[in-house]
Amino acid sequence: MMSARNFPKRMFLPSVLLAALIIIPFSAPLITAEDPIKIAVRYRLAAPDLQHWLGRDEFGRDRLARVLHGGQVSLTVAFVATTIACIIGTFFGLIGAYFRGPSEFITSRLSDIVLCFPPILLALLVVTLFGPGAGTLVAVLSVLYFPTFARITFSEALRVTSLDFVEASRALGTPSRRIVLGTILPNIAGPLSVQYSLTAAAAITIESGLSFLGLGVVPPAPSWGQMIRGARQFMNQDPLGIMIPCAALVLTIYAINFFCDRLRDTLDPKGASGSGMDEVSKPLALADAPAIKDPDVVAVINKLRLETARFGTSAAVIEDVSLTLRANQCTALVGESGSGKSLSSLALMGLLPGAIRQASGTLQLRRKTGEVVDLGFLDARTLEDIRGNDIAMIFQEPMTSLNPIHKISDQMIEAIQAHRPMSKSDARAHAVQLLKRVGMNDAEQRIDSYPDQMSGGMRQRVMIGMALSCEPRLLIADEPTTALDVTIQAEIIQLLQTLRQDQGTGLSLLFISHNLGVVADIADRVAVMYSGQIVEEGPADQILRDPHHPYTRALIESMPSSHEGLHSAGGDRLPAISGTPPLPSARPSGCTFRDRCPIAVHACAEIRPALYPSADGGRAVRCLRAPEAPAGLMNHQTEAA
Amino acid sequence: MLAFISRRMAAAAAMLLVIGTIIFSLLIIVPGDPAELLLSTGGGSASAEAIANLRANMGLDQPVLTQYVTFLYNTARLDFGTSIVDNGSISSVIALRLPRTLEIIVAGTIFALLLAIPAGTAAGLRAGGKFDIATSAINALLTSVPGFVLGTLFIYFFAQILGWLPAGGYVAFATNPAQHLQMLILPSLTVGLHLATIVFRMTRASVLEMRGHDWVRTAVAKGLRRKRVVRRHILYNALGPIITVVGLQLGILLGSTVLVEFIYNWPGLSGLLVSAVEQRDYPTVRAVILTVSTIFIGINLVIDILSSLLDPRIRLQ
Repeated sequence: MMSARNFPKRMFLPSVLLAALIIIPFSAPLITAEDPIKIAVRYRLAAPDLQHWLGRDEFGRDRLARVLHGGQVSLTVAFVATTIACIIGTFFGLIGAYFRGPSEFITSRLSDIVLCFPPILLALLVVTLFGPGAGTLVAVLSVLYFPTFARITFSEALRVTSLDFVEASRALGTPSRRIVLGTILPNIAGPLSVQYSLTAAAAITIESGLSFLGLGVVPPAPSWGQMIRGARQFMNQDPLGIMIPCAALVLTIYAINFFCDRLRDTLDPKGASGSGMDEVSKPLALADAPAIKDPDVVAVINKLRLETARFGTSAAVIEDVSLTLRANQCTALVGESGSGKSLSSLALMGLLPGAIRQASGTLQLRRKTGEVVDLGFLDARTLEDIRGNDIAMIFQEPMTSLNPIHKISDQMIEAIQAHRPMSKSDARAHAVQLLKRVGMNDAEQRIDSYPDQMSGGMRQRVMIGMALSCEPRLLIADEPTTALDVTIQAEIIQLLQTLRQDQGTGLSLLFISHNLGVVADIADRVAVMYSGQIVEEGPADQILRDPHHPYTRALIESMPSSHEGLHSAGGDRLPAISGTPPLPSARPSGCTFRDRCPIAVHACAEIRPALYPSADGGRAVRCLRAPEAPAGLMNHQTEAA
Repeated sequence: MLAFISRRMAAAAAMLLVIGTIIFSLLIIVPGDPAELLLSTGGGSASAEAIANLRANMGLDQPVLTQYVTFLYNTARLDFGTSIVDNGSISSVIALRLPRTLEIIVAGTIFALLLAIPAGTAAGLRAGGKFDIATSAINALLTSVPGFVLGTLFIYFFAQILGWLPAGGYVAFATNPAQHLQMLILPSLTVGLHLATIVFRMTRASVLEMRGHDWVRTAVAKGLRRKRVVRRHILYNALGPIITVVGLQLGILLGSTVLVEFIYNWPGLSGLLVSAVEQRDYPTVRAVILTVSTIFIGINLVIDILSSLLDPRIRLQ
């Protein structure tokens, strides 16, 4: 909501423009002393001179005076009608919302009916009965527009009355009148003012249109529509005659629309957001990647650094992330939300949001053909070939990850046909097979349903089946069970386990989760992420049973789980990790976890720890106090901070 | 599906009945004697005989209920009675002129869709980009130009200055097809450009919203070609909201057609309407407005059915 104290900068220009266009016509006497009605046929269509800046019209009347006075008429008719419509409509809307019942029906249906009449036709109907004139116009326009105000007030008021503070003041015994005038009205002022300006613009259009037809404002009173009508016959000799009123009309409507647009943006700021189809920013500079020699390795992330690509400042959201993904192995990426685990996986898919840029590091992939490619260097076409074929992905939200208006069959068939030259019926048969593999009963029938006819668990099975359709070497599962019921969660995990073992080609599974219980069930290796970095990495059983990083330890201890063996916290209270992770732009010096770390020492603020490998090279940890850390670093150590 | 369509048709029929009733009752609630009112032009009053004639002709001497039933019955048979001015059959005049109006609307709509959907999609896909900023600015300006202003300016530039196209008029297609089409261009361009501003706005907003959905990311992750993602998973989803809004805006479109036909001397319904209003020929005005409202409701019915075909969720409700 906008407050008077804090007048938004973006409203300044439209407000000034609109105010000027309203004030100028009404200051006509200050600008010209000419009479807009006085006819002087001798000077018809005279060119502009010092006395008559805009020349004279077909009856020799001063055009400047006519434009200004015409503006007065147009603006008065429009704003009087809109104000009446607004007052009556708001009144009806409030009554409907406050008392509900039959008045509710009237307010909402009335506008449906009025909307069925093209406005200008309804105006013509009334003009037929009452004859033209400004009064008729005001009456018609108010009747035309008040139902819209009623409907907006009604729906906004309903929304507001259900807000907590209104219920509270009602419970406190505030009289109805005070609630309506003091609480509801200020809250619906925003949408109403947007509607007010929209209506005013429409009213000016209709008024000038009717006057143009000769059925609006009665001559000789000037109006813009009439001026255009009159000048039309002479547009050859005197183009100025149509240009001036046209410009006045367009400028006024434009100013109102402009004001209205900005007002709407200010009241309801909606940034373009979303995960879907952003332009992918190109990586800055890429180091030469070391060649993957081991044929078992499917993908290697090497020293990946992702930055926000905003103007000027850039902050690293992911720093120094390295990960090796092997065939027949499940690697779990663990961490709280915002730690960068999803971004790391999206980078592998070439699906980074437009605001994030790969600043350095490499992402290598061994394709099914055996060819090793650097994902950062590929053109869009090759990336499309890789997605779904070499790397597939399952997302967190099965409810929204499938397109609601296409059948499951169509969505699966297009995934198959994207990478395999197959007829539609073959692809469909293949899709049915896949659905059977992921445990869908009645796959032949179910495949023709729409996503909305399926439960979340079913949809996630479809997503998994679709991801496996081209037998990818790498499957990324980004929190695949988070949005599901606990019982369904277990089934989906079980399914992933089975599929992993069945897949003959040696599937590598990158499993992203914040749920250590699930990770313990499925993962071979675990990488724990905190604030954009991997803080601990190694074989799952070792990491989960004997964590070396205090963050991993805290995660395990805060886990309410049936995996009793995993954590040692006795008693019935679960310890929580105090504090929140730092924003990418405000990470502390030294170790990023030190502010929340129970065992941090002075050195932790001075030295940014690297990922220290264990003696046998099997695991690594990014902590100065871990057993893997080089002994010399802790010379600074004095006492716990 | 059949149940859905019949439900929608029943609602449309109810709406028509309400509109017919409102139009009918306007004449009843008018203060004073409607016959006298309609015949009074420029302050002078008509002879008692003329008033009595008109009253008998329009059935105003009957009880209100009888008038109402007769009106509904005749309207349902598409019999709109006779004109006050020349006693001609209104139905046959409408039958003659309606196709000409529809021609402009159809041509204008096709032009609007061909122009605005690709432009709106491109702007929505790259919101904030150069193309988007440019087209949105042009669109904001065009939105502020009323149809009759646009028409007047078109005549000035294309007919007067450039001399490319006729300033107005009408020749039957059967008489001279080339000239007919030539004369159709400016009116349908005027109507279409106005509609295009609305369609552009809606397409851009709808595409912008749709492209952020998770299913689009899924489609990209499947490895579909960009074109296919845009067509099948953004545009196809956006189409429902677009046509719904267009349907609601058709009222304004039909209204601006009145002015556009007037400007170009196109002898469609509006010429009939404007002269009928000038001559206070209420039966004719009433008939034209009923016709236009029926078209409006009919189009919205078709759009309802279309969007239910596009989006299974509407059907499954």
